[in-house]
Amino acid sequence: MLTARPNLARDILIAAVALALLLLLPYVWPNKMINDLVIRVSAFALFATSLNLLVGYTGMVSFGHGMFFGFGAYAFGLSMQRLGVSIPTAFLITVLSSALLGLVVGAISIRLKDIYFSFITLAFQMLLYSTVIAWVPLTGGDQGLMGGIPRPPFLGVDLSIEAHRYAFAVTVMVAGLLILRQIVESPFGYTLRMIRDNTERASFLGINVFRAKLTAFVIAGVFGAIGGMVMALFVSGAYPEFVNWTMSGEGIFMIMLGGLSTFIGPAAGALILSVLNDVITRGTEHHGLFLGAVILLFALGLRKGVTDFIADWLRLNREAGSRGGN
Amino acid sequence: MARKRVDLDRRTVLKGAAAGAAATIFAPNIVAAQSKVIRIGMPTILSGRVAQLGTSSRNAIQMEVEKINAAGGLAGRQIEMVIRDSKGQPQEAARVSRELVNSDGCEILLDAEASSGSFAVQEVAKDLGVLVMHTNSETSSLTADPKIRIPLAFRSCRQGIHDAVVSGAYAAEIAKAKKINRWGTCSPDYAYGRDNTQLFVEYLKHFYPQAEVTMEAWPKLFQPDYTEVITRVLQSKPQALYSALWGGDLTSWVDQANIYALFSQMEVFAINMADYTVLTAVKNLPKGIHSATRYIKTYPNTKANAEWGDAYRARFKEYPTNWSWENWVGIHFIAEASKKANSADGKKIAEAMRGLKIDCPFGADGTVTMRADDQTVIGYAIGWGTTISGEPYVPEVTGAKWDTILQLEAEWKKRNNYT
Repeated sequence: MLTARPNLARDILIAAVALALLLLLPYVWPNKMINDLVIRVSAFALFATSLNLLVGYTGMVSFGHGMFFGFGAYAFGLSMQRLGVSIPTAFLITVLSSALLGLVVGAISIRLKDIYFSFITLAFQMLLYSTVIAWVPLTGGDQGLMGGIPRPPFLGVDLSIEAHRYAFAVTVMVAGLLILRQIVESPFGYTLRMIRDNTERASFLGINVFRAKLTAFVIAGVFGAIGGMVMALFVSGAYPEFVNWTMSGEGIFMIMLGGLSTFIGPAAGALILSVLNDVITRGTEHHGLFLGAVILLFALGLRKGVTDFIADWLRLNREAGSRGGN
Repeated sequence: MARKRVDLDRRTVLKGAAAGAAATIFAPNIVAAQSKVIRIGMPTILSGRVAQLGTSSRNAIQMEVEKINAAGGLAGRQIEMVIRDSKGQPQEAARVSRELVNSDGCEILLDAEASSGSFAVQEVAKDLGVLVMHTNSETSSLTADPKIRIPLAFRSCRQGIHDAVVSGAYAAEIAKAKKINRWGTCSPDYAYGRDNTQLFVEYLKHFYPQAEVTMEAWPKLFQPDYTEVITRVLQSKPQALYSALWGGDLTSWVDQANIYALFSQMEVFAINMADYTVLTAVKNLPKGIHSATRYIKTYPNTKANAEWGDAYRARFKEYPTNWSWENWVGIHFIAEASKKANSADGKKIAEAMRGLKIDCPFGADGTVTMRADDQTVIGYAIGWGTTISGEPYVPEVTGAKWDTILQLEAEWKKRNNYT
């Protein structure tokens, strides 16, 4: 980066305000269900936003991103259960091992384009899923990591206390989104957009497309894994469903619901899908039918995510405003 | 609707209101606690392939809660069930359970999840400090492993190790009588199928050391076509075959194996056969399949059991399942312990429940006991018999000897460092 981005200060300010609001929420509105929702949305927001780094910014539609979410949950859970390390160490192990996984899977997958790329990522995910199911002594197979994840206190934070867990989850989420925001607004982020719009042009300009794509894939994998880690902390376990293809499908739904052209879209989608899921499963056993209908409505009817509409509306207003000023 | 409540009828409400009013006048400080309903949260699977687990659990609970409420509920507080679907996903089971306690005000959890979900619910119960009764999870380690066990968690259903001892002993008797030494296995390829089969073989050999396994087939869970598996079994010609297939998988497998006349060529031991869900779904139920009793209304052959099976059938137009009786046991243990403790408080109920023995239509001797040291139910009826093509499906059942089960279970626990 040649110069500091002019919007950096604004982003940090927004992040700080968002974090403060989220941290205040349990005091203003003491409702444990809302706290649980925010923790889960924090995990999914990191997951969906990191997937959007590939889908929305680089044009790589990965169908296997759930692999990282599940891997993060298992890597963190196993580090805590088997190695007995502290939470920061387990966090570091999760980040490094998921980066390695991203590097290996990415190096193979991104040589393929379009639908072939999508399918090979899905294949890798199913490979990991089958491994989790089959490697019973390590992973507990289809029963998941049993017996709970120990949560020893660190630096005055005790994650076995609900309030601490909540604060930890939202802090990790806001920090993670802020970092991802810096990445997509950096020259590297604009390189990714150029690759998405015109790969040939990018490579003629001297950009190493392979390296840029691989970097994006690894970054997305790491943040997806951090999302999985937050989820593992919440449920105090890791389950094969986290690694299953349905997880990747949910990530894509979140992006579709929230909108892929705004940075915050996938996080908004994570919130919308989680709320929809909670409300619909409370009311009916036929939740698949209702969720499917909502998604069809977005995919066929609206063809945009919620934040896309808001962004369009803001833009129109601004244009109208500036015209009015003339 | 995922959210069903066992509602009171108008008269009961009026009576309750009258009693409440009377109590308000005479004992104003007690009424605050006692006039309140007590909510019990029930996470279970109500959609997807194993939805029957949830629906047949829910039916049984609905029937029993009505009886318990009519008899005064839990220490005077009427039970209101809040039942939710977890879709069979452990993370949803965790979320739903937390929600049931945190926002629906449930004070007790009746966990009618399958195995993986039950471990997730166990974590929630540990976190929130609520009483939980696991009613459907048969995985032994849930209560046997001291690292997983928690003081407020109980189990009211059968478990793998008990089944394995009984199956091994029964199969060994048949093997001894008929000189069956070459065994094959055909079980679903996931943790339950593998564990169950491995334990069965272990106890078969314990009782009949000459037995050896000459072939193993591991079809995938929910596999639709078993042709390849069946032909492989037929080619390797074992004298007997053991299978831990269950539900729809077992039904398809039996239907397909029938075409190849597999049942006339070897003794078949299918542990999960004697459950109405399978017995009534198989097209031509072969005669002579050995099976453990999951639930049939003729075993234990008592009036109480037959009446309960018929009442359930009259009401829900289908027979109860194995899960139904397990939920019966769960809710009645809570009710009896509450009566003993004269309290609806989870911790007091837990205290009263340890070592409690209750009358039960599904007990081997008409009772079941909540064993104090690992908080799991023992003394329930298990037996093996052979099928016929129509009712009563398994006419003669050999009951298990619980002293043998307990002795071998204790040795198994020692081997696994569970003591």
